[in-house]
Amino acid sequence: MMPTPSQLRLRTALFWAVPLLLLLLPLSTNAYVQFIANSIVIFALVALGFNFVIGNLGQLAFANTALFGLGAYGSAILVNSFGLPWILSIPLAGFAGAAGGFLASAAALRGIRFYYLAIITLAFGELMRWLYVHGTSITGGTDGMSLPAQSLFGVSLVGDHAKFYVFLAVAVLLFKATLNLLRSRVGRSVMAVRENEVATASLGIPTARIIVFAFMWSGFVVGCAGALFALHTSYVFPESFGMLHLIVSFAMVLVGGLGSVIGAVLGAATLTVLPEYLRSFPGMEELFFGLIVIGVLLALPDGLASLLRKVSPIFFERYYRE
Amino acid sequence: MPPLLEVEALDVSFAGLHALRDVSLTLAPGQIMAVIGPNGAGKTTLFNAISGYVRPSGGSVRLKGHDVAHLSPHSIAEHGIRRTFQNGGLFPALTVLENVLTGLHAQTEGSILDVILGRKRALASELEMIARSRDLLALMQMDHMADTRAADLSGGQQRIVEIVRTVASEPPVLLLDEPAVGLSPLARDQMMDIIKRMAGEKGVGILLIEHAVELVMAGADRIMVMAAGQRIAEGTPAEIREDRAVLEAYLGHA
Amino acid sequence: MFMQLTISGISQGAIYALIALSLTVVYRSTTIVNFGHGDFVMAGAFLSYVLVVLLGVAFVPAAMLAVIAMFLLGLAFSRGLIRPIRGGPHIGFALMCISAGYVFRGIARIVWGREVLPMPRVFDMDPIFVGDLIITGDAVFILSTTGIMLAVFFGVLALTDIGKMVQAVYQSARGAQLIGINVDRFNDFTWGIGAALGAIGGILIAPISLLHPDLGASFLIKGFAAMTLGGFGSLYGAVLGALLLGLSEQYAGAYIDSALIDITAYLVIVFVLFLRPQGLFGRKTIVKV
Repeated sequence: MMPTPSQLRLRTALFWAVPLLLLLLPLSTNAYVQFIANSIVIFALVALGFNFVIGNLGQLAFANTALFGLGAYGSAILVNSFGLPWILSIPLAGFAGAAGGFLASAAALRGIRFYYLAIITLAFGELMRWLYVHGTSITGGTDGMSLPAQSLFGVSLVGDHAKFYVFLAVAVLLFKATLNLLRSRVGRSVMAVRENEVATASLGIPTARIIVFAFMWSGFVVGCAGALFALHTSYVFPESFGMLHLIVSFAMVLVGGLGSVIGAVLGAATLTVLPEYLRSFPGMEELFFGLIVIGVLLALPDGLASLLRKVSPIFFERYYRE
Repeated sequence: MPPLLEVEALDVSFAGLHALRDVSLTLAPGQIMAVIGPNGAGKTTLFNAISGYVRPSGGSVRLKGHDVAHLSPHSIAEHGIRRTFQNGGLFPALTVLENVLTGLHAQTEGSILDVILGRKRALASELEMIARSRDLLALMQMDHMADTRAADLSGGQQRIVEIVRTVASEPPVLLLDEPAVGLSPLARDQMMDIIKRMAGEKGVGILLIEHAVELVMAGADRIMVMAAGQRIAEGTPAEIREDRAVLEAYLGHA
Repeated sequence: MFMQLTISGISQGAIYALIALSLTVVYRSTTIVNFGHGDFVMAGAFLSYVLVVLLGVAFVPAAMLAVIAMFLLGLAFSRGLIRPIRGGPHIGFALMCISAGYVFRGIARIVWGREVLPMPRVFDMDPIFVGDLIITGDAVFILSTTGIMLAVFFGVLALTDIGKMVQAVYQSARGAQLIGINVDRFNDFTWGIGAALGAIGGILIAPISLLHPDLGASFLIKGFAAMTLGGFGSLYGAVLGALLLGLSEQYAGAYIDSALIDITAYLVIVFVLFLRPQGLFGRKTIVKV
């Protein structure tokens, strides 16, 4: 079912209403809950960017961890070594992520696809982590590096409540931009490449450029999320950018729904909140994480977002505004 | 004035084997030329070579006098030679409307930055293309299916949508690889009508691979017969019907 | 020095070989790469630990029991979790494998807690001295066991009816279906074999290294690198690639920089895929457009 024009207007209204209501959230949370909420915002962005490549472009590339690390370390280095205000490091971290995405796309353009692409991008992430560990003079090595306290327009960005507003603003911008892309000829071409790359070229669409762009946009979004993460934890160290991060974000994308923007939010929220309850029992966290993901894969092959689409066509998020 | 499409002495070889040898043809605006021949005659290879999916080892392909033989598939398509695929080239998970819109990619305005920032220019052009796509679908009585996923269409509907998508940008040259395969006799006749209308009303030059000989005898202006990678005859349907070489090599008559 | 490195390289490589081979066995029949295989390896080691240390079973019967249990677990995994999602996107398989691995890891951690446990040594053999070369008891143990396992594996594949059936299905699943082989059950069976081979790798690692729930992750990457090096999907390639990987790690670590041991596998993956994607021993496949 496609949305009618009035449903499309409702969809737009909903998009802005949700973050507006979320502005009230810090009034009702303690520091711990707010920290979790901030994590959800950041991981929603991570899943959004990751999804652009594995869901929309349909390439099994696992560069996500490398891109996240590039963003986080990029931001921390710019702030620590170059004295840049953190807020300005966000777009630059995004560009660092985009550069990483460009590298990953070079592999895809070289004909390294599917499992080969998965494995080589996995290697990319682990090589980056090795660099963080061994590039001690710049990265702080295994100890990592901490971020000095930040402020924005004279307001201190130390507490989780204050950070939330900045994270939310960045997330809204990047979600809006990604939706704009998916509803345009650019996003359509990205999905066309996933569906049939040969036929896409026959329509005069430069497939190579589309692939490079999709990887770079994914990198930009994830890189920006990395910069947010650096401030979120005030501390960047190599273990945050290992296999665990990859697996968690991969699961978020599929639990939310491959190729779905709202799915990125749902997946991030589900897989951030649920393990929190089990954190204090060794092993339970992993056991239930595994069981939840298996359950969703079996029961909802199109992810949680498919439930919403059954409720109302306004959750069909591709498509234009007429 | 140079002819619309001029293929001259085209050669294609894979690992020393000639898949196409010395094939030439000329196509005028509004003309329908059918390419027939037994399986393995090199018909699809000819299409692949013209549309850039296979690199020719010799010869030239000229569109209005410009050599396009060594361009990539997407630039050849952008220059105005568009094709369909034998196994169907629709994007199954996209809607019919989205499928047609991909055919208008190059016509849609707005840079990537315009799109990301949601600027008016990109939005206005996008809406204009949506309206244009809906009109095209209406011409083929397919507008009620605009929001259906392509995967959910019948085989015949998929063929029609693929053709709508391919002609959406009004390319001067169209290569149709078995557009009527798998269609009912009625749908096949409708398909032939559509093809004739595109040639007659829009002046599109059409190259058509088709197995049903009676269909092309009735519909095509000229017929080219291929066997074993070579052109063995070319002429009007009436001439081809009389051609001894064709009868021997292709139709199997002694 | 060189010979010493060669011996440690080969015994490392022998373990990688079992892991790469077990990944390949499944990949060839199902086109699925088990991204959770590291945890299957860990589970094999874990089971043998439980049997030996907690239940007091002797090592050899314990190892055999653990391998059989892992075979059944692999079979059940294929039957219960892989078959039902065949209709969905292929990408789902990767996550399913990872998630099953997480379940194993979670269970292991619940039992183990956060401790790192030493497995009792299987047999204490004095090292053999050949000139100034030292061959440890562990190396003898690993090399002889993997040697026998590989000989049995390739022997069964080449000489028995089951082996010929496996090769037939590997050649063409459709053809196998036509001559009456139940491909679904065959795939379940290869998952079992893959899990069992991985378990053997885990059981060999157990006595010579410390056991912890996360030990599998690093072996997964080594398996990938070995497969890539030898030609993805080739059984012999997996073994040869693994031995080469084990050797290059040792050489690179000793002659260039010890920090390189950790990333040799990754560098191998990147260079091989960019320069010779079909692997060292694979033939170039022609992709039909």
